[in-house]
Amino acid sequence: MKKVLRLALLGAAVIAIAALASGCGSKKSSSGGTTTNSGGTKSANSVVGSGSFSNGSPAKGGTYTIGWENSFGFTNNFDPTGEYLGNAWGLYSNLMLRSLVGYKHQPGAAGNELVGDLATEAPTPTDNGLTYTYKIRSGVKFGPPVNRAVTSKDVAYAMNRLANPKDGGQYSFYYTVIKGWDAVANGKATTVSGISTPDNNTIVFHLTKAAGDFNLRMSMPATAPIPEEVGKCFEGKPGDYGRDVVSSGPYMLQGADKVTASCPMKPMSGYDGANGNHIILVRNPNYDQSTDQYRKNYIDSFKFVVNSNADDIFAKVQAGQYDDEVSTPTPKTIRQYATTPSLKPRMIPNVGDRTNYLSMNLTQPPFDDVHVRKALNFIVDKAALQKAWGGPIPGSIATHIVPPVLYNNGLAEYDPYATPNEAGDVGKAQAEMKQSKYDPGKTGKCTASACKGVLTIADTRSVDKTMIPILVEDAAKIGLKLTVRSINGAYTTIQTPSKNIPLAERPSWGKDYADPYTFFAELFDGGAIIKSGNTNYSLVGITPAKAKEVGATGSIDNVPTVDPDIAACSAKLASQRTTCWENLDKKLMEQVVPWVPYLWPNNVFIIGPNVTHWNYDQFTDGPAYSSVSKK
Amino acid sequence: MTFYIARRLLWTLVVVACVIGITFVVFYLLPAGDPALRFAGKNPNPTELALIRHRLGLDQPWYEQFGRFTWRFFTGDKYGWPGLGYTYASGSSVKAIVLARAPRTLLLIAGAAFLWLVTGVAIGVLSAVKRRSLADRAAMGFALFGISTPVFWLGLMSLYIFWSQLGWTAGTGYVSPLDSPTGFISHMILPWSVLALLYAAFYARMTRNNLLETLGEDYIRTARAKGLSERRVIFKHGLRASLTPIVTMFGLDMALLVGGAVITESVFNIQGLGYTAINSALQQDLPLVLGIVLVASVAVAIANLVVDILYAFIDPRVRYA
Amino acid sequence: MTQPPDFDVSPGGAAIALPTATIARKSPSQLFWERFSQDKAALAGGIVIILLIFIAFFGGPIAEKITGHPQNQTYSQMTDAYGVPLGPNGTFWFGADSSGRDLFVLTMYGARTSLFVGIVASGIALLIGLVFGLVAGFFGGLSDTVLSRFGDVLLAVPQILIAVGVVAACSTTKSGCLGGLLQPGITVVIAVIVLFSWSYIARIVRGYTLSLREKEFVESARAAGASNFRILWQEILPNLLGPLIVYATLLIPTNILFEAALSYLGLGVPATQASWGSILSQVSSSGLYNVAWWLMLFPGAFLILTTLAFNLLGDGLRDAFDVRSER
Repeated sequence: MKKVLRLALLGAAVIAIAALASGCGSKKSSSGGTTTNSGGTKSANSVVGSGSFSNGSPAKGGTYTIGWENSFGFTNNFDPTGEYLGNAWGLYSNLMLRSLVGYKHQPGAAGNELVGDLATEAPTPTDNGLTYTYKIRSGVKFGPPVNRAVTSKDVAYAMNRLANPKDGGQYSFYYTVIKGWDAVANGKATTVSGISTPDNNTIVFHLTKAAGDFNLRMSMPATAPIPEEVGKCFEGKPGDYGRDVVSSGPYMLQGADKVTASCPMKPMSGYDGANGNHIILVRNPNYDQSTDQYRKNYIDSFKFVVNSNADDIFAKVQAGQYDDEVSTPTPKTIRQYATTPSLKPRMIPNVGDRTNYLSMNLTQPPFDDVHVRKALNFIVDKAALQKAWGGPIPGSIATHIVPPVLYNNGLAEYDPYATPNEAGDVGKAQAEMKQSKYDPGKTGKCTASACKGVLTIADTRSVDKTMIPILVEDAAKIGLKLTVRSINGAYTTIQTPSKNIPLAERPSWGKDYADPYTFFAELFDGGAIIKSGNTNYSLVGITPAKAKEVGATGSIDNVPTVDPDIAACSAKLASQRTTCWENLDKKLMEQVVPWVPYLWPNNVFIIGPNVTHWNYDQFTDGPAYSSVSKK
Repeated sequence: MTFYIARRLLWTLVVVACVIGITFVVFYLLPAGDPALRFAGKNPNPTELALIRHRLGLDQPWYEQFGRFTWRFFTGDKYGWPGLGYTYASGSSVKAIVLARAPRTLLLIAGAAFLWLVTGVAIGVLSAVKRRSLADRAAMGFALFGISTPVFWLGLMSLYIFWSQLGWTAGTGYVSPLDSPTGFISHMILPWSVLALLYAAFYARMTRNNLLETLGEDYIRTARAKGLSERRVIFKHGLRASLTPIVTMFGLDMALLVGGAVITESVFNIQGLGYTAINSALQQDLPLVLGIVLVASVAVAIANLVVDILYAFIDPRVRYA
Repeated sequence: MTQPPDFDVSPGGAAIALPTATIARKSPSQLFWERFSQDKAALAGGIVIILLIFIAFFGGPIAEKITGHPQNQTYSQMTDAYGVPLGPNGTFWFGADSSGRDLFVLTMYGARTSLFVGIVASGIALLIGLVFGLVAGFFGGLSDTVLSRFGDVLLAVPQILIAVGVVAACSTTKSGCLGGLLQPGITVVIAVIVLFSWSYIARIVRGYTLSLREKEFVESARAAGASNFRILWQEILPNLLGPLIVYATLLIPTNILFEAALSYLGLGVPATQASWGSILSQVSSSGLYNVAWWLMLFPGAFLILTTLAFNLLGDGLRDAFDVRSER
């Protein structure tokens, strides 16, 4: 009898907890979620507003704290020569480094307009587009410990460092158009012959062929000036300079004034990878505001803090312990801010210049058949995938490769695989599948053996876990049985062609600068396919020779290519260029069909209660730190 | 006796070496993918990847990498001795990270250990003494619940109830006691309790079993026959014998938590050693993984050693086994 | 205590005193059944286990039939406009998960994963531990030393970390690792759990074997010319069965919790296979735990119920086998 009592007590305890949970849960239960937009609207970004927030006039001062999710994730340890992480560019471009040309740090199209930053203006090229001459402003000085004026030689030094493969540059391929660049890249020279510095305030670039977007390429952080007296301590040591970055902008790493410019250099204390993981920036005493029209610099110091828990980050933002974050709001947080009137203005969605997509490998059955690829485009429930991300606020449904904003809103209504409510259409999908060789019986479902156990690589974020069942279920409707592997950091797997992955759920691609070239050239160029670190996941344009080189096996013959189209478009200028890219987009979506694009994610930022002014920086796709203010 | 200790010490070193070896095999040799790719950018080219591989030492054969690691351990690196190397992600000193994160784990363990030892043993003694009473049934029922509950569920539920709904404690995260003692306690009270609950349940059951076992021995009957008070019988004679295995287990359990409190650290976002190790493992930041494994296994091996020595003290026969 | 007790040190065990054989009027199995049938809690545990096994086999399909919701079917109407799942209602008794699947059906299928992994892993660990423990305890000498040393090393290895490493590594290729022996998914999980639980059994078996080895009936069997194998098989093994069953039963909940922990860390069975641990992991990583209480409650309750039942049963079995105890 006593044992039964023991059990009863246990049961009571469980029931009590359940009652407590349900009783308290109903206050915050999801019945409170009101539907604002019907899921699946494809009208581009009706949720994106002005991209800014203002509450009174901005005041100078304060420490701006940013919660950074999980880990900094730098690709080159914050060393600007190689650092490719978009969030790092936010710090460089707004706060620490002044490249020859830069941006206005504003949202929308204005934010992608090129202006002179270190240089007085973005020059027009001479010599039929082969020569670019930049005049460097006077009054721009390096911060401690260098403390002198920035000269053209410092820009040249940075470029030479970028060209030298031993110094860790990660996007030097943009600059191979400069004469003499390849010689340095191949180790045959130490300086790039096509860069000349006639005097301290002038730098000239001689190109081998015209590149319409050369000015845009000179806006990236690796091109910002580096003082040789510090740089020489880090030659051949990619990444180490990240701890001692010398500022040419309004802010510097804390502790820069405590180190001396002699090798070996002690790390500046503001960059702390180990204890507590933070980066602290303070004002650069040598900065002259009169030389800078576009940075407002209200804040006194910036503190970037790593926090491994997204939920905790947003809790702290709401409480005012953080002002901002580098993190993605979860559906729960989006809902909370969207449905609470006092919080709503502090959630600011912005166009992200990015596409999330499923990538199909054109060499792997059953995706070597274009009808299967089209069928998948018809069947995927994009509205449900959008919901997995949190509904219309975190992103609009993608209908083609490049987001319309990069075409100046061209192709806004182009939707080749439209379905009712973007929820997928079984009829159309099956009609497409019937034309495929993998459905010999014309049943509308993939019946061949290649349709079973289709390996799909997904990542392990919570949004991936939510998307996978939707994807699996949709694919099953056309007879594709997916075998999903969830890998942490799925990119390293899908970037290896020799693994022959048929379907990848994870990919997402954002612009490097505002030109569709940064999509097409890296995503669909057959010549750019490499063994490790490949970004042309679909292997568009692969040839048997290339396949052998990278170890890809499968149906290598007759893989469609768009290499000539890419070359043709990149030579054009202005509106001709845009139209050319648009046509390439259409060709890819209708004839090549390498992807199922499903989302154009917005960058949603949630700011804390103490922030009085905030706006989005369209170039860095992040907060315009140089414009924020708090009370 | 000293010979015994020396022998056991030597064995401890061998154990640690084996553990490092196993870790190395699992993380360096199993096909998890190219770590260099993780630390390259969005669009790496082959030259750059080769450079990264070279910088991280990945282009060397595994025995060379292992050799370098061992050598550097004994001779130190630019951050001093022992040399634990640098992380792949940011080139930071592994030793510095371990030293920064260790206090969190140690404080978590210390607080929880105190709680579980005191409550576990107390409940166990109470149950044994008041055998078959309602208190006993309730206590053992609670203990049964404690060992059956997954830690992460308990953690989430307690966060939900005590933080989200009642607001009695702080949320997840860690605040150093040097920065704010009240914040520290407020953040740690839930993780301590959750971890302690699990172990208190084990210890309560074990204490009860052991004590009941002991109280059935002949010499206890003799003590009672001699007229000693029940209290003396229990506390002076019974408890001493039955607590010995518990105390020795206590040391071992604490040491195991150094690398093993992963779930608690994960749920409550305390970036201690276990959590850091798992994260680094998932991100293929191997030097950090090795460094933490080293620390954790040394802790366990030493605890094991201490336990064995204590036993040798208590029971001479063990020494000559 | 007359000698240092052989006890397990992984958080799944309890101190086990070595029993001594007694001369009883009733046969041991008669005594066992008598005691066991009087232990209401253990009986309850046993009944719950049978129920859970039934659920593991049939619960999923039955649930699908009753509710009309297939396991992996996502229902868009069960997530609100922000993608947050909705709670229990008339047709979705346990509410939905964040993809919009019926949580009731998922929970029923989850029993399959937990029970399968728990029982199979424990079974394999039992076999391996039995073999090693018998050899070490019976033959002693080198084999015993090797076993103890190996056990020491396994103890010092950070279990969860190595589990993470192995599971993560073996999930990246289609063929798995060890030449295809360890397929990603449930096979790897079971293998890893077995790796870390066999030594617990081995130690216990060794202890029992050591003491049994010196008994008179073994001596007489040896005197009669029986081979070692015969002695092991006919004299020692039957006496081990009782304790083996007890510790196997007590090992199962530990392994179920281990699998749940691995799933919680994102490393368990694939996303398309229902597992209580992975549902709970979803809840934590997306911060849904304070807006979707049903996602926490139901899988958690079933998990606890399962482990509780096995623990009750195991306790009862141990009490029933152990003649000297006064419970």
